[in-house]
Amino acid sequence: MSTRTCWSCRAEVSAADPLCPACGKVQPPLPAGAQIDKFALLGFEPSFDAPAGLDDKFRALSRKLHPDRFARATPQERRFSLEQTTLLNDAYKVLKDPVRRAEHLLALRGVKGDPKMSPEFLEETLEDREKLLEAKSSGEPLDALAAGVREKRDRTLREAREALESGGDLSRAAELLARMRYYARYLDEVEGRAVEV
Amino acid sequence: MALFEISEPGEGHAKEACTTGAVGIDLGTTNSLLAIVLGDGKPRALAVDEGSTLLPSVVHYGEGGGPGSVVVGRAARRVAAEFPHDTIVSVKRFMGRSSADPETRRLSPYRFAPGESGVVRFVVDGGRVVNPVEVSAEILRALRVRAEDRLGIKVNQAVITVPAYFDDAQRQATKEAGRLAGLEVLRLLNEPTAAALAYGLDKRSQGKFAVYDLGGGTFDISILQLQEGVFEVKAVGGDSALGGDDFDRALAEILLEGEERTPRRVREAIDAAKQAKEELTKVEVTQALGKQVTRALLEEAIRPLIEKTGGPARRALRDAGVPDGKGLDGVILVGGSTRVPAVRRYVRELFGLPPLADIDPDEVVALGAAVQADLLTAETPQHDVLLLDVAPLSLGLETMGGLVEKLILRNTTIPANATQEFTTFADAQTGMDIHVLQGERELVQDNRSLAKFTLSGIPPLPAGLARVAVTFQVDADGILSVTAREQLTGVSQSITVKPSHGLTDEEIERMLLASIEHAEEDVQARLLIDNRVEAQRILKATEKQLEQNGDLLSGDERRQIEEQMAAVRSATQATDHHRIHEEIEKLDRVSADFAKRVMDRGIERALKGHSVGEFDKGELSSHAQKAYSALRDAQDEGEETASPATGGARSAEHG
Repeated sequence: MSTRTCWSCRAEVSAADPLCPACGKVQPPLPAGAQIDKFALLGFEPSFDAPAGLDDKFRALSRKLHPDRFARATPQERRFSLEQTTLLNDAYKVLKDPVRRAEHLLALRGVKGDPKMSPEFLEETLEDREKLLEAKSSGEPLDALAAGVREKRDRTLREAREALESGGDLSRAAELLARMRYYARYLDEVEGRAVEV
Repeated sequence: MALFEISEPGEGHAKEACTTGAVGIDLGTTNSLLAIVLGDGKPRALAVDEGSTLLPSVVHYGEGGGPGSVVVGRAARRVAAEFPHDTIVSVKRFMGRSSADPETRRLSPYRFAPGESGVVRFVVDGGRVVNPVEVSAEILRALRVRAEDRLGIKVNQAVITVPAYFDDAQRQATKEAGRLAGLEVLRLLNEPTAAALAYGLDKRSQGKFAVYDLGGGTFDISILQLQEGVFEVKAVGGDSALGGDDFDRALAEILLEGEERTPRRVREAIDAAKQAKEELTKVEVTQALGKQVTRALLEEAIRPLIEKTGGPARRALRDAGVPDGKGLDGVILVGGSTRVPAVRRYVRELFGLPPLADIDPDEVVALGAAVQADLLTAETPQHDVLLLDVAPLSLGLETMGGLVEKLILRNTTIPANATQEFTTFADAQTGMDIHVLQGERELVQDNRSLAKFTLSGIPPLPAGLARVAVTFQVDADGILSVTAREQLTGVSQSITVKPSHGLTDEEIERMLLASIEHAEEDVQARLLIDNRVEAQRILKATEKQLEQNGDLLSGDERRQIEEQMAAVRSATQATDHHRIHEEIEKLDRVSADFAKRVMDRGIERALKGHSVGEFDKGELSSHAQKAYSALRDAQDEGEETASPATGGARSAEHG
């Protein structure tokens, strides 16, 4: 893992660490475009499952990094605090969510961009959607449809885990995760949350 | 830092050491309060008006207009009935509101000056014109001066509370009022959050809490998580035009039945109703304007108003992941209106929990603000807590066809940022309009416009090749800045969003409600626009190919494609998105063979003198590059049409 030098005490700091372990000063964020390991930012190893103690770690770091802690500090430190807290809030949001967390895991392994979806899957989604529209217009209960898609979603996530953990087919994992987005959207629509997502 | 001695009346012996001149202020609709953390680490509200901690938010502008002609508090309230035009009551309700608003006129006796930019301006004694910021500043100044008298120190820093729903402009206006009153505003704090801060400290609570804040003029609901010294705001909601003043009005309506409504009589009836309401928290029957009023009568009059708090409360619970209050650890009551027994009964029913009310619901917000002021200024704060706030409304950008692409979603923890890449829509497009919006709806016209600016100096490239990254940054105070940057040349432009006039909290509420009511309608509108945009792009791409590679077609083939293009065009004139989609697909089919021939020719041409590898690096002749981008366009369109998961316009047009 790469390191850099603390601007205040010149101690060596791991690149992902927002605070200098020696003097406790907040560090500037990595230059724009640098890949940020959101797991490392919170002090975790990359993992498919939510890291144990994520909430506690987030709160502990927030207490150290938040701009409210720097109301009396120099403008430079206030800026570092704002930028690091922004990164921290984003990292926490990503690590909390199973799909975003897995996508970040893929990104760390160098898989980026929107994957190509298989025609079979696209056909299947169109069918699901048609059934939903039909059920909606005829006033049928949507529970059974939603349960079916929920089951597919859970199965897809399991498959994505296998693809990721065996270290095998990363592009397959990427496609499976892209499917998760579709399922989430579908379920939101069933539950009438479409606009809030 | 120096230690100051202060003494409080009523506890004459208590001489407390105070370590800071920073105070917490609750600038309320009906009453305002000021509190400070004392040497013992506990916040205390100071008596600021005739021995009471409550300063009525009433400002009277007296004769002459000179110093001393402005009266604030109870003294102002006493003359309100006599001078209805010159005495401003509940000024907070007018913050950011237009004078043309029918709500403004309802039961309010003021004279309004013709507004520029729609801001309310009151005409008071002697033709003097004042705006809500100036009126609010008078209240803050009165609090500051009276606190200085009490404490014997200079009070120059404050944390001021605002409703959770106040937007950027309303927050700025509140800060401005603070500055006018001679205060450095350290931080604006959401009212319910302040209340939880007071409770968390006093009770050392852990868990998820709802803060039910029914004040004089606003209802706010916040769901907060308190854990290990960190308060996280999980969701906020509310109804900004609902409060105890409405209870008074509802009862006043009954008292005034069959009477002529002069401004004076209306004011008297409202005062009598308010007094009756307060008495009825303790007794069953009382008198108002010579009429008998029972608790049952009051409760019947206000029941529909109380029940209006249920919708926003349930929505916030769902947003926070505690639907129907299951898993909620407590409900905190804030605001004088929560003293009404019927309100407490309703709250217990709504959340399935008996509400907490051991801190005075009138003082709790100011006490929390004092704690925050202490946290921000003291060398060693008395309490070690942190407050994590959220963005109250989604922030987004206008994209093709008048749609909104949200970058930061409502209830995102702040500070936060987000970046989205946009591409050019037309060949050689050199500018891009960036239109920043706030709200939950799908269409630009239904959201609030915060700012507009143009990024110019984009290099003239074929459509879709230039890349513009737009970044939103929201800081810890909730203020937004926007940066747009063209990736190839690094041309960039940025602004801090400071809208010139405020979105009223009522507007925010209306926008939120509308987004839920119109969800289905919005989806239909979005699909229509998406399909029209697609149709336009595919028509453009086909036209371009016909012009450049038309020689690859027989007359018959060409006619067939042109007929189908006309069919697509005519479908876009109508509003059936299914039909547009179908016609696009047909065009795809009839031009599939042509596309293949164009692709073959493109590759053939590109390969003359270029390796396939160079293709990707963009080292192409301009002709080959055009062919390449046209091909890619055609491919993209195919994908977007087929995939419901990746729908949505991607590019912003230079208008």
